Amino acid sequence: MENIIELKNVTKEFKVLNRHEGLKGSLKDLFSRDYKIVRAVDNINLEVAQGEIVGFLGPNGAGKSTTIKMMTGVLEPSAGELIINNRIPYKDRSKNSQEMGVVFGQRSQLWWALPLVESFKLLKDIYQIPDENYNAMLKLYGSMVDLDSLLHKPVRQMSLGQRTLSDILAAFLHNPKVVFLDEPTIGLDVAMKSKIREMILELNQKKNTTVILTTHDMGDVDALCQRIVIIDQGKMLYDNDIEHLKKFFGAYRTLKIRPREKVTEAAAKLKEQLAEFEVSVTNDDTWISILVNEEKVRVMKILEQVQEILNVRDMQLEEISTEDVIKKIYNSPLESGEEVAL
Amino acid sequence: MNQASTTKSGIVLQKRGLAFYTKIYFKIIVQDIKSKMSYRADFIISTIGMIATNIAGFIAFLIMFGKFPSINGWSYYEILFLYGFSLISITPTQCLLDNNWSLRRYVYDGDFVKYCFRPINLWFYYISEVFDVKGFSQLFFGIGTLIYAWVKLGLPVTVLMVVELLVALVTASLFMMALQNAAAASCFWIQNSFWLLDISLKMKDYAKYPVTIFNDVFKFIFTFILPVAFMAYYPSLAILRPDEVPVLTWLSPVLGIAAFYGSYKLWMKGASKYDGSGS
Repeated sequence: MENIIELKNVTKEFKVLNRHEGLKGSLKDLFSRDYKIVRAVDNINLEVAQGEIVGFLGPNGAGKSTTIKMMTGVLEPSAGELIINNRIPYKDRSKNSQEMGVVFGQRSQLWWALPLVESFKLLKDIYQIPDENYNAMLKLYGSMVDLDSLLHKPVRQMSLGQRTLSDILAAFLHNPKVVFLDEPTIGLDVAMKSKIREMILELNQKKNTTVILTTHDMGDVDALCQRIVIIDQGKMLYDNDIEHLKKFFGAYRTLKIRPREKVTEAAAKLKEQLAEFEVSVTNDDTWISILVNEEKVRVMKILEQVQEILNVRDMQLEEISTEDVIKKIYNSPLESGEEVAL
Repeated sequence: MNQASTTKSGIVLQKRGLAFYTKIYFKIIVQDIKSKMSYRADFIISTIGMIATNIAGFIAFLIMFGKFPSINGWSYYEILFLYGFSLISITPTQCLLDNNWSLRRYVYDGDFVKYCFRPINLWFYYISEVFDVKGFSQLFFGIGTLIYAWVKLGLPVTVLMVVELLVALVTASLFMMALQNAAAASCFWIQNSFWLLDISLKMKDYAKYPVTIFNDVFKFIFTFILPVAFMAYYPSLAILRPDEVPVLTWLSPVLGIAAFYGSYKLWMKGASKYDGSGS
């Protein structure tokens, strides 16, 4: 399948002035040539095929937005090669926008004072969308959401959810090859989130549009992304699907025990006696959590051991969630990924 | 000439030329005016405010210059002519470039990035978002004042004079737009750029006076550094004093186009430097 997005060793550096403290320091800054180079994106390689949905994850300041801005042509990379839709995005940015759609967080790109339908008509002119394509798109939108209630409402009167929805519809209107969504569900209620996810998925399937999505919401990831990319401190830590992610970071499961004995004493006892199995034991007021790497020892074996040591009142078995895995990656760099700190 | 190109999805795109942009601009303006009318109270109050400002400015002018029959060789009606002239030539800046006043805020908040994703000219797209209808009130004021001064000065009405006037007005407008545009663009480089924009607005007040009433230092500054003298004085000399037209007057249309183009290039350069921090 043809790649729509290709990044080869893409790096972006910013020059930042080293600021000094205090009044004296700010006077110094006026004449200072003391810059430091901050590497926001560090040697990223990525290939995305037409029709994929890729989730970009990473803590704040990880370089996600910078990467997206390079892909949309707003920023020029400091080094490396970047090809979107067979074009170099930052060269002739306005021309390249023709086959892209972008929704940037809570920054609506619609005309604030105009009813949605007027914004759509302007976009139709700007992107030169043929009548039949435009009408077909509106028909498709009508089948997905209650369009009539939105179309004649000025954007400024819309709720955040309606506005985000409208922005996403506007981004797909000219049937672009690729759509970038930067935190599309931020600040929305649960019902609206799921509505927007369904909509994105349907548009992706019906139009075979490539979707690049950044988010902090694991719900978005689980609902939408076959593939995720994790970026931290400008470096790409992971690029594969979610199932692999869980395996990659070990086949961890958490065994939770509620003992009849006092929890703290029981936990201490377990810690001591389970030392040979290399599991980590933590506890709160009522539960003891034992994190087990199943590649090393089976959970059932641990449970047998525990039953011999303690008088178990209740037990639970938890799969590690995507969110936990991500959290673990954020907290510890890949090299020390073996250490367990949950 | 490559007039049309085809996208991958097979849509034939027309070349986005002047006709395309004019069409889009009028569509946006119509929508914008419609929506502004919908805030009726806001619209009426701001229009009244604009008219009141103009009347106040006019009265202040009358009081100041009514006392002198002439200043430095310039008659009362000649100065009135310049006054009307400068009001008309500020109108395009007021009506068309109003969104430049918000540029600073968009750039600092990082909101400016939202303008960067359309397949049309960035400056056009940004500027077209707001059309300030209120600017028309001073256009009418300016036209009234200019006609009154014209009649009182006993200037002939010939085709040549009207053409000269129109060229002079366009020239002066270009200089005013250039100054405001460049001042607004400074926010791409300077943190606190509001004062520059503010100064550019105040400059138009100096534009009302013949540059010869200032001393040599200001005359130099207003001619060669800040093009204030080009915003009314040099262009209108062709009409007011056809016998003593300096070279700068004949050059002013070309200089006006160059200044405006330069300010546009500066704006675009700033925008391409913009990295949309904070998101």
